[in-house]
Amino acid sequence: MSVDATMHVVRPGRRDAYLDWLQMLTGAGLVLFMWCHMLLVSSVVLSPRIMDAIAWFFEATYLAQVGGPIIFLTMITHFVLAARKIPFRAEGQKTIWKHARMMHHTDTWLWVVQAVTAMIVLIMGSVHLFVVLTDLPITAAKSAARVQAGWGWFYLVLLPCIEVHVSVGFYRIGVKWGFIRTENRPQAKKAENIMFAVFMGIGLITLLRFAFLG
Amino acid sequence: MGRLLQFEIFRYNPEDKDSTPHMQAFVLEETTNMTLFIALNRLREEQDPGLIFDFCCRAGICGACAMVINGRPGLACQTKTKELPEAITLLPLPVFKLIGDLSVDTGVWFREMYQKTESWIHTAKEFDPAKEEERMDNAVAEEIYELERCIECGCCIAACGTARMRDDFLGAAALNRIARFVIDPRDQRTDKQYFDIIGNDYGIFGCMGLLACEDVCPKKLPLQNQLGFLRRKMGITALKQLFRK
Repeated sequence: MSVDATMHVVRPGRRDAYLDWLQMLTGAGLVLFMWCHMLLVSSVVLSPRIMDAIAWFFEATYLAQVGGPIIFLTMITHFVLAARKIPFRAEGQKTIWKHARMMHHTDTWLWVVQAVTAMIVLIMGSVHLFVVLTDLPITAAKSAARVQAGWGWFYLVLLPCIEVHVSVGFYRIGVKWGFIRTENRPQAKKAENIMFAVFMGIGLITLLRFAFLG
Repeated sequence: MGRLLQFEIFRYNPEDKDSTPHMQAFVLEETTNMTLFIALNRLREEQDPGLIFDFCCRAGICGACAMVINGRPGLACQTKTKELPEAITLLPLPVFKLIGDLSVDTGVWFREMYQKTESWIHTAKEFDPAKEEERMDNAVAEEIYELERCIECGCCIAACGTARMRDDFLGAAALNRIARFVIDPRDQRTDKQYFDIIGNDYGIFGCMGLLACEDVCPKKLPLQNQLGFLRRKMGITALKQLFRK
């Protein structure tokens, strides 16, 4: 029930603008981080020694010890900010689900995918961060042991969720802030798909390398 | 003999107490160059005189015949049946108030939107009817005209995920309207004043960038580019005020 029972008028403020900036900046930061993360971890494909050397560097410079928790906080912040747009009531969820089914529109569906993968990444990403950061130093041997000890399925779920979320999110930032325009949207769409395929490919090869490293 | 088109049309008359929302099937033989405008009129004339739908110009100008055609909001008069499969499902536009069957009231929504966006030229200049009209650069005039082409059909609002979930969201039609005044040199509103209208989650920061508005607009308005332009402009306006303090 909505009743106007007050003379109070909400004063225009800048809150929503700042929250939107923060949502974009934390998102863009996490996209960059995920790309770097994937490239660095995939160094194991070249040689476990290269990966170990990189991990050692991040540890010696305290980037892992400090950066890890910062990434976790950024992820949580990004979740809270982006969750402003996600319907948490059953009513809203039903609406957007029916809407996506009605529209047969890729970008609308991709938003639903983004919202669903967000929940998966939030939980599984947190578990991954906890497991890795409470068992420093990071080494190729430890990662391989984890994958071989039954965590393979865990990463087989987490990997595609993250890659979809990152690729779609990157495209969406471009659209929302006007860097992707009508003229270059088809190319941006293509870039989004290529980005997903490439990082998914690198991720799967890296997982396979861990599965057979020993 | 043309194809036999299988129509599934939403029927409900809120004015009639005995009416319940349901889908009704109709079959109609397709003719050359048939549009949904022609098809619906034939259905009404030949099969069910009680079928409610809106039409006026039948040329994509008035925006009255917007409806959901096989899942996508669009204009019935501009939709050729040959571009559709045999099975055609017609629903009224969501978000707007249902008048009956396929007819919705977009007028009330647009009137309120115009009031919210203060959709008129704001100027302190005194109007002198005797004076020659001020000249405007042709490129600017064309740019304004491009955005003025909106026919208020409501397709962008019905296609918008945010508008579906939140009825307080202004939507692409309103934001396009604001963009039109932002580029109009006669409107003396400052960025800060525009920000007070759309610099929030009801306005530009509520847009989630799903781009269905852009993809369904029957007039092919450059909505995507306007939304991006406004978000950047309003984002920067907020930042400027932060650092000005």
